[in-house]
Amino acid sequence: MEQKLDEIQSKAASQIAAARSIEELENIRVKVLGRKGDLTGILRTLGELSPEERSRIGQKSNAIKDDIESRIEKRKSELLESKINSLLQEEWIDVTLPHADSRKQFVRGHLHPLSQIQYEIEDIFTSMGFEVLDGPEVETDYYNFEALNIPQHHPARDMQDTFWTEDGNLLRTHTSAIQIRGMERLTPPFRVIGPGRVFRYEATDASHENTFYQVEGMMVDKNISVAHLIYFMKVLLKEIFRRDVKIRLRPGYFPFVEPGFELDINCLICGGSGCSVCKNSGWVELLPCGLVHPNVLRYGGINPDEWSGFAFGLGMNRLIMMRYGINDIRHFLSGDIRFLYQF
Amino acid sequence: MWLSLNILSKMVDVRGLSPEEIALRLTMSSAEIEGIEYMNYHLKSVITAKITKKLPHPNADKLTLCDLDAGGETYRVVCGAPNHREGDIVALATVGTKFGDEFVIKKTKIRGEESSGMLCSEKELGLSDDHSGIMILPPSTKTGVPLSELYPDYVDVRFEIDNKSITHRPDLWSHTGFAREIAAIFGREFTSVVNYSLEKEFTNTEPFNVRIDNPKAAPRYCGLAMKNITIAESPAWLKAAVTSIGMRPINNIVDITNYVMSEIGEPMHAFDRRKLRGNEIIVRMASNSESLTTLDGQDHTLIAEDIVIADGGGAIALAGVMGGGNSEIEPDTTDIILEAANFNPVNIRKTSGRYALRTEAAIRFEKALDPGLCKAAIIRCYDLIRQVVPGSEAASVIIDAYPDAFQSKTVATSTSFIRAKLGQQIDDGRIIEILTALDFNVKNDNGALTIGIPDYRATKDVSIPDDIVEEVGRIFGYDNITPQSPFVPCAPPSINAKRQFERLTKDILARNHNYTEVSNYSFVGEALLSKIGLNEGLELKLRNPLSTEQDRLRRSLIPNLIENIELNQRYNESFRIFEMGRVYFKNRQEPAALARETTRVTGVLFRKKTDTPLFYDAKTTVIDLFQQLKIKTMRLTPEQNDLPPYAHPARAMRVYAGKANTGLIFDLHPKIREAFEIKGQAAIFDLDLDILFSAEKEITRFVELQKFPEVPFEISVLADRFTYSSEIRDIITASDKERVRNVDVVSIYEGEPIPKGMKSVSIRIVFCDREKTLAPQDIESLQKKVIGDLAAKGFNLR
Ligand SMILES: [Zn+2]
Repeated sequence: MEQKLDEIQSKAASQIAAARSIEELENIRVKVLGRKGDLTGILRTLGELSPEERSRIGQKSNAIKDDIESRIEKRKSELLESKINSLLQEEWIDVTLPHADSRKQFVRGHLHPLSQIQYEIEDIFTSMGFEVLDGPEVETDYYNFEALNIPQHHPARDMQDTFWTEDGNLLRTHTSAIQIRGMERLTPPFRVIGPGRVFRYEATDASHENTFYQVEGMMVDKNISVAHLIYFMKVLLKEIFRRDVKIRLRPGYFPFVEPGFELDINCLICGGSGCSVCKNSGWVELLPCGLVHPNVLRYGGINPDEWSGFAFGLGMNRLIMMRYGINDIRHFLSGDIRFLYQF
Repeated sequence: MWLSLNILSKMVDVRGLSPEEIALRLTMSSAEIEGIEYMNYHLKSVITAKITKKLPHPNADKLTLCDLDAGGETYRVVCGAPNHREGDIVALATVGTKFGDEFVIKKTKIRGEESSGMLCSEKELGLSDDHSGIMILPPSTKTGVPLSELYPDYVDVRFEIDNKSITHRPDLWSHTGFAREIAAIFGREFTSVVNYSLEKEFTNTEPFNVRIDNPKAAPRYCGLAMKNITIAESPAWLKAAVTSIGMRPINNIVDITNYVMSEIGEPMHAFDRRKLRGNEIIVRMASNSESLTTLDGQDHTLIAEDIVIADGGGAIALAGVMGGGNSEIEPDTTDIILEAANFNPVNIRKTSGRYALRTEAAIRFEKALDPGLCKAAIIRCYDLIRQVVPGSEAASVIIDAYPDAFQSKTVATSTSFIRAKLGQQIDDGRIIEILTALDFNVKNDNGALTIGIPDYRATKDVSIPDDIVEEVGRIFGYDNITPQSPFVPCAPPSINAKRQFERLTKDILARNHNYTEVSNYSFVGEALLSKIGLNEGLELKLRNPLSTEQDRLRRSLIPNLIENIELNQRYNESFRIFEMGRVYFKNRQEPAALARETTRVTGVLFRKKTDTPLFYDAKTTVIDLFQQLKIKTMRLTPEQNDLPPYAHPARAMRVYAGKANTGLIFDLHPKIREAFEIKGQAAIFDLDLDILFSAEKEITRFVELQKFPEVPFEISVLADRFTYSSEIRDIITASDKERVRNVDVVSIYEGEPIPKGMKSVSIRIVFCDREKTLAPQDIESLQKKVIGDLAAKGFNLR
């Protein structure tokens, strides 16, 4: 019987060593250790033996069982390792290929740079307590001019060449039209911005468009000063350009502010040494601003003796051109995705 | 507008100041200087020289070699002119002289002979139009002298002013105004060029009358008769000055009136005295359909809003805008009447606009000029005519019609108000110093200021305390103000839900569905609309379009997007783009109300390959968009009839949010693809964002997780090939609303053994009960119900 056990053991050992797959090993395990397996068969006959023999054979066959099991496990891990090694070979791919299927090129969606800058500006200002307002693009003379202290026949009307609609209204020439609508709706103190599309009746070239984007800003509170205005403008530009930008403030005439300014930023395209974008001056006119004219506050139903405010109108196209070094304003509305994919 | 440094320097001492420094400080404190131009600076290195020897050029018949002596220095140059002789004094441009931006005189060889300089004609020197030969100077001229010393008036620096930046400053439309600014900025003295004592010389030998009918329209009219005038070319200095300020020299009298306008800011006019009918000048409103021919030869039919200058015979000038041809100065004119008047800015602006006469005079009068300028201008004009026209003299006193004299104005404010508005500590002394330098008459009572406004600033420009803040701020320097954050309560602002919804929509399209956002013009034109078949003429049109391609406002984003496809297919195999923007609908109310504006979001998918229809991709986008926007109920129905001309009738669906018609999903109509030569397929969705925004939204609530097993059931249904699979799906869904959990079309098959004209639709159904595990008999009855309901509608299983 012991001899038989030895045979089972050596046969199983050689079969295990020769096994080529995990399934094969499993078969060996069943054939030897399973309920109908060879070793189990021997153990089943133990009852016929004397107690001493039973104990001896029993011990031996348990030792053989352990041995076979550990041989199976060992072989199994060998096989697994070699299987994984061969998978690693098989599953090699050329990771330098650009796409799994280069004919079906993946292009992510791009927000228009004007939207991107608009949202950035909205986020900066809402974080400082400004509410975002809207207004119509086709406006009345009243909101676009009259209530902004630009009456009929005022020479300042020449400053903004206007598209007139057949029904006697106009395409807003600036987002400042949003100011009056805002004042009518809100009670001071308030802080608002109004981004949007504006129109000018002028021939287009590299630096002129008949359609562009502005964001209007206005703060009305007690004792608002020029120093406050400059503060907000500096914060805005620092956030937009992620660095301190050199600015200068000089007198500028806009009937709806008094005093009124032009805010110039140091040309970021040439660094101030002069280029076509800054017309060789080193400075780019970025935004008109000023303290809200008392007449405008009155038109908005606000008492100028009690409240004061500042307002600004930032040209978003110009800002983007500065940030990315775009040299032609006509790209924005070209509809050419080769331009839009860059942002 | 151009400013001449030569003219400025007669009123303010600019010694020690560079033109660049003046320009920068004016830009920072007064008005924008757009450019600096150096006038005739080449004259500084063009010197007088005597031709000591003239020899023929050995290699060229038409050229000569000239040896020159210029104050002891000798030069040899090659010259091509025909008019010079030995002994002549000529103008020699020495090596290094720069004419304009390009042309620099260099030492060269001309046909083998060395030439170190160039002999110049008057035209080349910018002194006259004479180009018949080189300039020959009088024999007495010293040699070696730069021409800039002989012609100092020609050497000038001029500044270009941005006219927009002086719209509110009538006083700055003149050299006087800017000289005052320079004086205030640099702390220097301003001197007027007007010598008022000359008025004593006038005697009334040939008197005339002036009558103003409407002092509101014409507050003041000053006239002066002069005699013994000889019309001639202006002297060199005057021609140079007139050229510097951007005008063309005409004759002495016209040049002087133009010069004085630029110097003082008061537009002037001179009439030929002989042509005046009668002895009275009448300033009145035109009568309706009165006619007048202006100096430029144009005939005008006037209306009663126009102001005219008239004599006994009728209108002789369109007041404040342009003189009449019938009173024009002629070469033989000997007697003139000088006019300096003041007019209502609104009348002038309307008249100048009405007849498209944007003259220098009109541009100034519409800014509201100081009536005090009239007399000053007449006296200055007289002064210059006396200098320029020998023997000329006044033939009258100044006839001054000024019914309601201008009342000087004051404004009351305080130094603390000024400081508070600027947000900057500026002490009282500095504030008063600045205002005084700007010619304001300041009375200070412990910081309470009573400020007399100079008349030339008081017509329109300065009237309220805020205007005084600006005066102090701009001279103090805005760059010197320390930025300061305001002290305000901290609170989150109200949310603009509409804007956020727009932004979310854009983000979903760009980031989840890879659409790129385009932005197109709000304009369209008839040609484009006709090409698409949208030429109903319903658009709101512009009165003053820039072009016929952009003469009306879009009612849809689609026309411009179709052009985007046309453009982008050139460089791209496939793309997805969208636009979110306003469309405009004419409002037919009376009186005209604003156009109705709605926001649309329109997406385009394009692919050159026409394999699987892009329509389904568009549909996927829309369905996901609705889900992400949490639109509570969405319905899509096939649309074949009520479609715009650009939509493919066999590939279109209408989209509903709740009950509201929200837009369409469709393929581009084949005829549009043909018309625009679009080589590929294009699917479009076009949605009304305002409707989406106001549509009822799904409120997210937790639903208990599925506990009981799902039971799948697959069938194939035979149907007519034009049957919409949604019809079959709807029948199945309706067969047990509770327990039919999901119905999917797995595949569609046409061809053998399916009969022609039919298709087989394979559908996968999932049954499930929320309360219990479905028993075999439940499943069987569910399956029977589905099959029975389909059969009842004529759909049999394959
Ligand atoms: Zn630059």
